[in-house]
Amino acid sequence: MSPPGSVGLLSALTETARRLFGAQACSLALLTPDESELVYTTAAGAGAQDITGMRMPSGRGVAGWVAMSGQPVAIDDLRRDPRFAQDVAEDTGYVPQALLAVPVVSPVRMLGVMTLLDRDAERPGADQDMTLLSLFADQAALALEAAAAFTDVGEMLLGALATAAGEGTALATAVQAAAQAASAGNQPSDLTELAALLAELGRRGAAERRLAVRLVSDVLTYAAAGRPGR
Amino acid sequence: MSLRPAWSDAFAAGILTEVRVPGGIDAAWAFDGATGAGVDVAVVDSGIDATHPAVGNVAGGAAFSWDPDAGRAILAEGPHEDLFGHGTACAGIICRAAPECGLLSVRVLGARLSGKAQVFAAGLRWAVQSGARVVNLSLSTSNPDFYGLFHEIADEAYFAGVTLVCAVNNVPAPTYPSQYASVVSVAANDGTDAFALDCNPTPPAEFGAPGIDQEIPWLDSGTIVATGNSFAAPHVAGLVARLLSKHPELTPPDVKAVLRAASRNAVPLRA
Repeated sequence: MSPPGSVGLLSALTETARRLFGAQACSLALLTPDESELVYTTAAGAGAQDITGMRMPSGRGVAGWVAMSGQPVAIDDLRRDPRFAQDVAEDTGYVPQALLAVPVVSPVRMLGVMTLLDRDAERPGADQDMTLLSLFADQAALALEAAAAFTDVGEMLLGALATAAGEGTALATAVQAAAQAASAGNQPSDLTELAALLAELGRRGAAERRLAVRLVSDVLTYAAAGRPGR
Repeated sequence: MSLRPAWSDAFAAGILTEVRVPGGIDAAWAFDGATGAGVDVAVVDSGIDATHPAVGNVAGGAAFSWDPDAGRAILAEGPHEDLFGHGTACAGIICRAAPECGLLSVRVLGARLSGKAQVFAAGLRWAVQSGARVVNLSLSTSNPDFYGLFHEIADEAYFAGVTLVCAVNNVPAPTYPSQYASVVSVAANDGTDAFALDCNPTPPAEFGAPGIDQEIPWLDSGTIVATGNSFAAPHVAGLVARLLSKHPELTPPDVKAVLRAASRNAVPLRA
């Protein structure tokens, strides 16, 4: 679910948020590609081990609402919601009193939901926690998008190079091995740099994103045409 | 310390200032003795659980979803459930000020995100043409690609005499249609009763209504305590329904002027 390369950063983010907000737990759930489920990929604090890997339908519940509406929500006195309390207690053994859930959203798509359980609401500035947690969610979205862009661009470039080199050649084999390494999160540093630049372009807007795609595709066309021996 | 959603700081004690309004109209003129009877309110949301004890008369509705093959929103008329609880919460809050209004449940949120903005737009257009005088929108889109489409529908509503009541975003970023001048945009204030209406002299969030630590209806006939601008907007939608049941001839700009005059921080200009 989490693209390779983002796991450490996301763990650090959830743990930092948990401590900063004085919360019992902080978790990140990501939408599956078909949007039918939310999968808890990262968690820190109470029930973290039990909640990690948990899946729930995205079409129901508080986290589902946040993902589908794109709006944060804060709920106190959760034990009054019998369905919520029962579901969570069965899955994690920890029933929170209060939650604050915000969407994790990139400029182009909904990625998931970040949730704080039982934050310390008496801290100075706690009245701004909805906005503050959204900033953490923005960080998570950047980490996820950047990591996904690294993997996507690395795989795409290397895949195109392998095709250009010709089936069965030594170069194609080497490039395919590099593509596999890229999927595993061990991108060559120049590809990482390229991907970071493209990700930055993409974040600036849809037009810039289209430009980035066209740029890479033109470079590939040029590289394929200029291959020695053609 | 209670949470404050974005834009709600404008209504905090010590920050909200007086607004000057034309004399002769006040909250009593607007609301006293009315119930919302005869006025339909469309709730564009996740559906309404019509069996919830806090929800009044659900007079009809429609559910919209995305057809990926046809590439458009499709309509299923008739009863449907609320998968999340949010639409039921909004409906119950509307009934606080307008216990006898008719509710139309327009479900635009389900289990998929694809086509979400188009489904939302189709549901809103249906609501505007449904005969409802008030539409509650406790959701909106942040996607600027749909700015024009939602603006067109907001204008249609305005000229058709339909008041759109929109919650502003819970985080500091623009959403549509809550940002448009023709809609009644609402953020949360610290009020507790259904008539705790404030007018913000520095929009875009024009009105404040209760939305912080509110006990609201939820799934399974229960209630929860929640915070969000989402829960402030239906308070105002209920007030608009109540107003229109007493003064049905008012148009959306009249409604907004009366809401200003009926606000707690309104000071009438002398004749």
